[in-house]
Amino acid sequence: MIDSLTESFVFLQGWLLDHVVQPPLLALGMGSHLEMAFDGIQFFLAGVLQIGFAYLLLRPIEAWRPVEVWPDRRAVRVDVLYSLLDRLGIVPLAVFALLAPVFAFIDGWLRLHDIIPPQIEDIFPALDTRPLLAFLVYLLLLDFAEYWRHRLSHILRWWWALHAIHHSQRRMTLWTDSRNHLLEDLIGGFWFASVALLVGVPPGQFIGLLLVVKTVENLAHVNARLSFGRFGERLLVSPRYHRWHHALHLPPGRRYRHGCNFAVLLPIWDQLFGTQYHGQDLPPCGLAGGPLPPGAERSGFWRQQWEGLQAFAAALRPRGHDAGERQPEGSHAG
Amino acid sequence: MTHRHPASLARLLPRLLALLVFLCGNQMAAHAGLAIALNSADGTLSLIDTDSYKVTGKINVCKEPHHLMPTPDDKSLIVACAASNQLVFYDPLTGQEQRRVRDISDPYQIGFSPNRKWFVATSLRLDRVDIYDAADFRLIARLPAPKTPSHMAFDDASQFVFVTLQDSNEVMAISLPTQKVAWVMPVAPTPAGIVMSPDNRHLLVASMGEGVVEVIEWRARRSVRKIPTATAAHNLQPKGDGRHFYVSNRTIDGSISLLDTQTMSVVEKYDVPGGPDDMMVRADGKELWATARFARKVQVVDLVSKQLKLSIPVGSSPHGVFFLNHAGLR
Repeated sequence: MIDSLTESFVFLQGWLLDHVVQPPLLALGMGSHLEMAFDGIQFFLAGVLQIGFAYLLLRPIEAWRPVEVWPDRRAVRVDVLYSLLDRLGIVPLAVFALLAPVFAFIDGWLRLHDIIPPQIEDIFPALDTRPLLAFLVYLLLLDFAEYWRHRLSHILRWWWALHAIHHSQRRMTLWTDSRNHLLEDLIGGFWFASVALLVGVPPGQFIGLLLVVKTVENLAHVNARLSFGRFGERLLVSPRYHRWHHALHLPPGRRYRHGCNFAVLLPIWDQLFGTQYHGQDLPPCGLAGGPLPPGAERSGFWRQQWEGLQAFAAALRPRGHDAGERQPEGSHAG
Repeated sequence: MTHRHPASLARLLPRLLALLVFLCGNQMAAHAGLAIALNSADGTLSLIDTDSYKVTGKINVCKEPHHLMPTPDDKSLIVACAASNQLVFYDPLTGQEQRRVRDISDPYQIGFSPNRKWFVATSLRLDRVDIYDAADFRLIARLPAPKTPSHMAFDDASQFVFVTLQDSNEVMAISLPTQKVAWVMPVAPTPAGIVMSPDNRHLLVASMGEGVVEVIEWRARRSVRKIPTATAAHNLQPKGDGRHFYVSNRTIDGSISLLDTQTMSVVEKYDVPGGPDDMMVRADGKELWATARFARKVQVVDLVSKQLKLSIPVGSSPHGVFFLNHAGLR
């Protein structure tokens, strides 16, 4: 069964390479990118599977046990568009195309000066021949880095101006995870790729790591009464746990000024750094103020991009001249 | 009333870790007739029994191994680990790891000069060619080689190493004694495999972009002929008779062409699907083994019937294959 599925997947991957991707690449003199393109097709197909998985498994759960019932799902459509752009590799491909030459230049420069960037395997050589263990170590390190990326996106005013797009959705669903400003995607991609390069994540595992992270993130945003149990909620970020991160009104307390529950996969980072809140109820989501104009939750794709850029520019101006810090005390900054 | 205490985490943890290490670790066995296939995306070697064609073991190697080659004395098989910055040495008889040489920057293709003095590694990703002392793998020179230096060939006197530059459509000649770039010349688009003809007069360059093998009179630095093979002509492997080379045409519908260097023409062609890439010929000349890069297989071609004999499932993105019982490499 698994063999025949793998066989079908590989066949489709090869067929797409041969008939869709390879001809233009060769015609453009970009034949050396064929192997990378083959990996890119794998990413695309994995994205198709992941969207299929999300729709067939998570969507019925949303319909079965919704936290909120809405008269219509019009406001969700833009998030579906974001998800397609993200999961099918269009946004990641653009981010990759922009960042790959930068990383190659930095890495190349280092090596020309006899500096080979150290990797985690230099410290733990046993990981050289234990890819599964190495995968788990990479996942742990990347999740730690993602916690801090996420937290910084709430603390730094210019970053929050962009990240607020993600939080502006009042109808949070499994599709909300990909609702991000394109500039934030670029910054997030740079962050993730930098850490991956620093740790020494091989490209093959990079796709797998992304898939794990994205799948859990899909699940975390789901509009469903879904509990992982008392123990499970402390092990993995659950929909309830993450819902408090999106809460319209944050839990009381000074330490939650910039938000709570920043963890992407493992709640332990919130516990370690004092940003954890375990609420039992399921609060409404959205922004009660913040850098975006009123009604931003209903904006379409391009309008959101424009509003995000305006808020970003305002946040970069010196304090006192901007409208970037309009959120009332106690309301959501994240 | 008795209480059953749950096993403490402290007692269970070492056992769980040991289980994990076991599960993540290597599975291998010793073999009589051993072929080794290198799976780039998995970072593994598949061990194949050359008699039964069964995969008998799998070895975790490193991150992104792309190419393998024997040492000149055939006592070791070197796997170049691009993303791990390592060379890993294996016993080609048993598949046992012998040693690791670290701090070899991004080795993609590797090669020894015929006089065994130089060891050369191309860094496709970072546009570099590194020249090492073959005795101890001490770095001698690191040369910028834009763009995407890929395969390499040497002249018989070990005066030059010739490297294909895939993205700039060129061949670069590097003087080994001086470790300087001697010259660069344009060739057909996306050059990949490159070999020296048996008479040491011509370089044969596989052009993926044009689907030809280009014949270069390297001393005069001029292209003398283009021999059409098929789309995405990629790699060349000697038949071992001092005259013919196999050319892999790396498409899904793929094929392998047999090139005669005396007539400079294609004399045979076999259908080998799955993106044939690296190749090796059995010593008796009856079989050609090729990695099918996009099909997770090693393809075995029966050179007597000239048909695909069987496919051996291996790992992801197989990129190299080797066995000791091979035909000559010229």
